[in-house]
Amino acid sequence: MAYSELIKSFSRIRDYMRQFYVYGFKSREEYGEKSARSYDNERRRIESWLGDLMSFHRTRDGKNVFLSVDSRRIPSNPLYKAFHAKSFTDKDVTLHFYILDILASGEALTAGQITDGIEEYLRNFEMPFPMDESTVRKKLKEYEALGLLTAQKQGKTVTYCRSAHTVDCESWRDALAFFSETAPLGVIGSYFQERSDFFRFKHHYILHALDSEILLQLLDAISQRRVVDLLIRSSRGKDDFNRTICPLKIYRSTQTGRQYILGYSYIGKHMVFYRLDSIKTVTMGSEEKQYDKYMGFWEKFDQNLWGVSTGAEYTMDHIEMTVRFGAGEEFILQRLEREKRHGTLELLDEHTCRFAADVYDASEMLPWLRTFIGRIVELQCTNGYVTKTFYEDLARMYKMYGGEDHAVS
Amino acid sequence: MLFHEVYGSYFRVLEQILTHAVKGDLTGSLLTRLVQEKAFAESGLSIPGHLVSGSWPLVDANYGTPLRHVPTQPLTTLQKRWLKALLLDPRMALFAPNTEGLEDVESLFSPDSFVYFDRYADGDPYDDPTYIACFHLVLQALREKRKLRVRFRGHTGIRHSIVCVPVRLEYSPKDDKFRLLTAGDNRRHVINLARVRSCEVLDAYAPEEVKAAKPKKQELTVRLVDERNALERVMLHFSHLEKETVRLDEGTYQMTLHYDKEDETELLIRILSFGPVLQVTAPDSFISLIRERLARQKIVQIG
Repeated sequence: MAYSELIKSFSRIRDYMRQFYVYGFKSREEYGEKSARSYDNERRRIESWLGDLMSFHRTRDGKNVFLSVDSRRIPSNPLYKAFHAKSFTDKDVTLHFYILDILASGEALTAGQITDGIEEYLRNFEMPFPMDESTVRKKLKEYEALGLLTAQKQGKTVTYCRSAHTVDCESWRDALAFFSETAPLGVIGSYFQERSDFFRFKHHYILHALDSEILLQLLDAISQRRVVDLLIRSSRGKDDFNRTICPLKIYRSTQTGRQYILGYSYIGKHMVFYRLDSIKTVTMGSEEKQYDKYMGFWEKFDQNLWGVSTGAEYTMDHIEMTVRFGAGEEFILQRLEREKRHGTLELLDEHTCRFAADVYDASEMLPWLRTFIGRIVELQCTNGYVTKTFYEDLARMYKMYGGEDHAVS
Repeated sequence: MLFHEVYGSYFRVLEQILTHAVKGDLTGSLLTRLVQEKAFAESGLSIPGHLVSGSWPLVDANYGTPLRHVPTQPLTTLQKRWLKALLLDPRMALFAPNTEGLEDVESLFSPDSFVYFDRYADGDPYDDPTYIACFHLVLQALREKRKLRVRFRGHTGIRHSIVCVPVRLEYSPKDDKFRLLTAGDNRRHVINLARVRSCEVLDAYAPEEVKAAKPKKQELTVRLVDERNALERVMLHFSHLEKETVRLDEGTYQMTLHYDKEDETELLIRILSFGPVLQVTAPDSFISLIRERLARQKIVQIG
């Protein structure tokens, strides 16, 4: 099949774009089981869509292609472009413009009348373009499902007209520019032409865009309170696996861009998280009659979640961190207040405070705790792994930056 | 359906080409220019080819078309449902678009379905009338290219009043805050919108006379050891910055990051958060900052 910059399915390109964007150091040979031609085609497509944002460097292993962008400098997520590249047939594109034009005057017409109109349009061209009423009928039904057309039945006769376009999109220009980048399923915002250029975004993670189809299906299941069967890519092995869950909430990280589905697992009879970028397919199941009960479980569960880890045993860790701050460094208190998520903050004296919390997996807090290096008087945790890791890591850092004795003075 | 050709780049470009064909002013060079400007890099080969060959019978040899109306596409149900969902977002108070036409539309999702578990708790007050009024005035000034007088309190509490050219509004999902980026007097001001007490839209400015100062860029090089899934965690965490990664050997990588000088302290604690799996190797000034923190930690710990 001849190369085209358009694609039929999103799943394969999703993986390549992720690899180019997140890692960017892999050579062509490392793209595993896929063929060299497949790699070349996908790379060429992405280069066609993203142009200047693609770079490469040569190493002894070959040419490594990567996608790098400071997302603070751009008005819109470039990865959305992949969603603007769906392939179509000659008939799809011809019917699209013909049908919408034939119905543009506001008349409601039958499939037969529309087919007659199409034939009249085609008489302007010498080249034969076979078109029958059943193809037209199929397209009309498809456009009705999309919401572009509205069907009306009178007896046995079905007529179609264009759906009313009463939304004043111009008045949405600023909102569309903003929410395309910040709201869930922002890719839909990129389908509007009316977007201003007044916004930029800091700490702006863009990779989630590639999981939009999965997110849409999960949100659909949540709103319909339905069970879902997930096909999940294993992070360690190569085998995919299935899990059936009752989906309850989407957890989004503003500090990594990762998205997770939280659901009730029927196998484990407890709450589970799965990363959206590891989910390959979502299959909708039956309605969950006990949905409210599981939501009740979640409400209680969420009160002691630091992030998205439950720990292996689903038991609680108690953690306490004593922090010292100097005169004029009261912003440390503000930092603790706004970043702590759970727990309490107690002022011990003018320059010392203690943060305490009970969480399911305190090891998840380690990265945050380390941001207070330079001020941590004491760290205590009922989970010995947490304190051991913290102080061992600290010792390694002392050594790393110049040796145990003289490095950090 | 999210992935469909009706939302695609080709259909949008064809819409523009056909608009000119209906109006009767389409030419070969205009067609080529529209494709180059609006479509993907390689569309220049395919779109004109299909139109000229007749495999897409939309434009004839004289650049005419059988279409009788300027092509437009109604909104799909998906688009309307997404707009409806946005109306439930507390930040929508800042925009106030015309909601007519969405009355009977079902929202695509509920904000309640999402948990932003690591978002900071002191986000901007989106329901504060003063904040909303200032936001609207900033947007008006941006739209009309007019100067602004902004009265605000600095982070130390001191009152300021400046006349500036608004350049952009910058939003951070992590901080849940808007910042106003401004130009004027060869200086670049970044003002937290929540600190603004009042705004006044002033005279228009000549856009060509305004030069927005760019933030100073810095480079940082780190050595990454892939322990505890560090490779993926680090790559994702810094994925929003311009970066380049090279494998040094199995399990060790070098990553070069480009960051804004004004964000150095933030970057410092983000680097520290990864512990010993990240080692800063350049520049020396940044290494000194880390050493300083570690030295302080040693002193605090010993008491």
